[in-house]
Amino acid sequence: MRLLRIAALAATALAALSTSALAQQKLTMWSRSSSEAFMPGLIKAFNDTHKTQIELQIVPSSEMVQKYATAAAGGSAPDFVSLDLVYAPAFAKSGTLEDLTDLAKSLPYFEHLSKAHIGTGTYEGRIYALPMSADASVLLWNKKLFRQAGLDPDKGPTSWAEIEAAAGKINALGGDIRGFYFAGACGGCNAFTFMPLIWASGGDILVDGGKRAAIDSPQMHDAINFYRELVAKGYVPESAKTDSGKNFFGGFATDKVGLSPIGAFAIGNLVKNYPDVEFGVTFIPGKEGGRASFAGGDNFVVTAGRDNVKAAKEFLEFVYSIEGQTLLAKGGSLPTRGDIAAEAVKGLDQRYQIATEAMKMGRTPSSPVYNDIFNSSTGPWKQMLNEAFFGDDVDGALAKAQASMQSILDSSD
Amino acid sequence: MTDQQQLPDGTSRPRRTARQRRKQLVGLLFVAPALALVLLFFIVPLGMAFWMSLHNWPLLGKPRFIGFDNYSRLLDDARFWASMRFTITYTLVVTVAIFSLAFPLALFVEKTRPLTKFYRTAFFLPVVVGFGSASLLWAWLLDVDSGLFSPAAYSLGLTDKRINLLADFDTTFWSIIIMVVWKTAGFNMIILLTGLQGISTEVQEAARMDGASPWQRFRRVTLPLMRRTIALALILSVAGSMLAFDQFYIIADGGPQNSTVTAVYWIFSQSFGSFHLGYGSALSMVLLAILVCISVVQLRLLRNPEGM
Amino acid sequence: MSRNHGSSTRRLLEAARYHGFGIAAALLFLAPLVWSVLVSFKPSIEARQPPLPPWPVGGFSVQSYENLAQYGSGIWTYAGNSLAVSAATVAASVLVSLLAGYGFSRFQFPLKNVLFVLIISTVMIPFQSILTPLFLILTKLGLQNTLTGIVLVYVTLQLPFSTFMMRNAFDAVPREIEDAARVDGASVFAVLYRIMLPLVLPGVATVAIFAFLASWNEFLAALILLTDQKKYTLPVLMAAVRSGQFGTIDWGAVQSGVTLMMAPCLALFLLLQRYYIRGLTAGAVK
Repeated sequence: MRLLRIAALAATALAALSTSALAQQKLTMWSRSSSEAFMPGLIKAFNDTHKTQIELQIVPSSEMVQKYATAAAGGSAPDFVSLDLVYAPAFAKSGTLEDLTDLAKSLPYFEHLSKAHIGTGTYEGRIYALPMSADASVLLWNKKLFRQAGLDPDKGPTSWAEIEAAAGKINALGGDIRGFYFAGACGGCNAFTFMPLIWASGGDILVDGGKRAAIDSPQMHDAINFYRELVAKGYVPESAKTDSGKNFFGGFATDKVGLSPIGAFAIGNLVKNYPDVEFGVTFIPGKEGGRASFAGGDNFVVTAGRDNVKAAKEFLEFVYSIEGQTLLAKGGSLPTRGDIAAEAVKGLDQRYQIATEAMKMGRTPSSPVYNDIFNSSTGPWKQMLNEAFFGDDVDGALAKAQASMQSILDSSD
Repeated sequence: MTDQQQLPDGTSRPRRTARQRRKQLVGLLFVAPALALVLLFFIVPLGMAFWMSLHNWPLLGKPRFIGFDNYSRLLDDARFWASMRFTITYTLVVTVAIFSLAFPLALFVEKTRPLTKFYRTAFFLPVVVGFGSASLLWAWLLDVDSGLFSPAAYSLGLTDKRINLLADFDTTFWSIIIMVVWKTAGFNMIILLTGLQGISTEVQEAARMDGASPWQRFRRVTLPLMRRTIALALILSVAGSMLAFDQFYIIADGGPQNSTVTAVYWIFSQSFGSFHLGYGSALSMVLLAILVCISVVQLRLLRNPEGM
Repeated sequence: MSRNHGSSTRRLLEAARYHGFGIAAALLFLAPLVWSVLVSFKPSIEARQPPLPPWPVGGFSVQSYENLAQYGSGIWTYAGNSLAVSAATVAASVLVSLLAGYGFSRFQFPLKNVLFVLIISTVMIPFQSILTPLFLILTKLGLQNTLTGIVLVYVTLQLPFSTFMMRNAFDAVPREIEDAARVDGASVFAVLYRIMLPLVLPGVATVAIFAFLASWNEFLAALILLTDQKKYTLPVLMAAVRSGQFGTIDWGAVQSGVTLMMAPCLALFLLLQRYYIRGLTAGAVK
């Protein structure tokens, strides 16, 4: 009976597939791809010295939230997650996360942990998330190109005018070298790198405790005009128009771009993967000077109902040890424990110190609909910026975004 | 043979009836696995989708019954209707484009001559490449820095700088149309070819004898006789295009400025980006209704070919 | 004589026009595939440049494949997942549709046409729209994030096509053949297996190839339903590769992945082309 044989074959194939789903004994942990430079090293160091073993999976940043939410709903969520801190409130609210209040309070250095992280990790008085890694937006410049363009390679720009002037000179080097780069079709990237321009100039985007969108501000217009100018003068590569954050590094890492606002994680990334690139790090300036930064990074969360708090504590104690903090810092995450931060970055060069300082003054807009407004690839923030930077109708783009953002904010209650 | 006793007292041909009953049962058994799968993974989910569309249903947390609120909200969802309009435009354009290439190709490869086999195979090869792979391939071809088209046009002096083809709606749209035509023309060619070959040579010959011009023969003989084939190709093409997702997601990311977000893309983003599962389901129901309407209209227009 | 000469010239001209068009069109259709395969053999740095010319200037290199091999749990894990999913989908699709096709073609039972139309009409339902409930059902069955779950979904998605195809294949077989065997006292299964199966093999091949191509290439359902990175299939992995590592896209690795995904599809089609087209056209005529 060949038919039966086919049936048997199909059945065994299916059976083989389902046994491969057998649970792993190791604890699983997910982390997003922007932490690729430091998480694997940190986990390896932990596994080498502890009986508890953690298996790390790197998930593409853009899919992290969708993957974790679906996995949680499906009961196949990883034990631990290093989760973008802006999402902590949404997951805490849904009951996915283990209450870590007691664990947190038992840490003698609790008071010194990053406030931005604890802030987004607290929901209705209980703590569901603790700092994992920290990231602040900074401005990178390419020293080699600065030198070639006759600029001082050891001094980064401190105002928009200086950025524009430097970008112009680098652009003049010709070929496919461009002065300035940003991912023009990426909402999340530009929240990180464009908002500080506005903050440093005295403006804001979400006001009234995150309940109201304030898009149409003079600072916003100025910042947009600044970028429009850079684009109009040809200082920005064509590819920036459609970069959804997939290739924001491509130009800078190959000495094709002079200046780029970016997350501090890029420092570790460049040092590790592109050791030939000479670069400096400075603060993202305001129009006439001033400085600001977006305080980002990941929170550590534990999937509820698995009895993993003890292991979590073991892991966190390692993360917050001087060894853990140093490993993080070396890989490009900023230290998350304030009292030993200085010690953790001590051996590292000036660039890490700047990023650590940026983190201190960093701001984090908080909203339960953060994703829908800022990060979503179909969201209003991304669309508005792309229209405003590269289109013809700035006012129309702003008005449309204002209405759309406000309606998302209103419907979130 | 036990069911023989349960038979009505058809004394004349009891055995025959029993066998028919048994045969009926066997027939049902044969189709049972297929039915079970369709039931479990299509009909039940469809019912669930409708049920969910009546709820405020977050991915995590408790669903809340809200009646038809999702539907009334949907009526004002400008983004959804924009994506719907875009999807319909895309479907119209791409279908016309596919057919205006597939038909000539089918006529071209109809008669077997030297190399015809090779031509057929060449035209058909892109069909077997998945939409995912094809999209990844074209995403690269369309890339402004590392791709083919833009740098090639620049090198040939056709443009004075490298144009980012994906930064402008028109170039994005037509690039994707070309990609889809490249990918699917072969499939439609084969289907149409089948229809062409189904027309007996005598009919064509008779028309020629009557002095009909080639165009008249095509118009009056070929087309009407190919009605069912065309209907099949058309329905497949329209349904596929109305559900387009991969190419717009992978190549264009819905851009520039969300102008190439298709209906399925918007549903995907509402369901698995914003986690409004209930609202996403309501959108799906509307899309489904529109699709069914379109299919029914097509079937009516082209008269129902049996079984499709 | 001159008339004869003229017509042969005309024929020659006509042939030149025919093949001129044919070759040009064939090249256009094949070019993107060839381009991609060639670029996948460039060294990484060269693959970042526009592919002019497409072939590797500095010698063939498998660097892109090596880069690709290092993603996540290693490329063979994902290729293995894809292969397992496709093989199981093919086997199950053939089995289910063979039975269903035979049932619909040769038996009378209540609601037969309704049930047939029910199965076929699911082709009009965007499966994307029932992805969420599918996800919830698989979760209830404990099959979320398993390859088995995704195989069941793929088999169902293929059902309208494969059932339609197999019914037509059986319809095309004259009943007399079967009746003769029946008279000899063979059982229903024996008839199906011994007499009918060889006759509908082209249909089976079509169903198998379509099932393979669909499951090998499917992206969206796999993206949603598989959450564990070790269970990703190739298309999901490739989306991750395309989304860049360390903020840069390695186009060489993307094209080597595309080549890897295309190769089995092209090979299978070229090998089974005859069955495939014959089966496809048999379906289209009906």
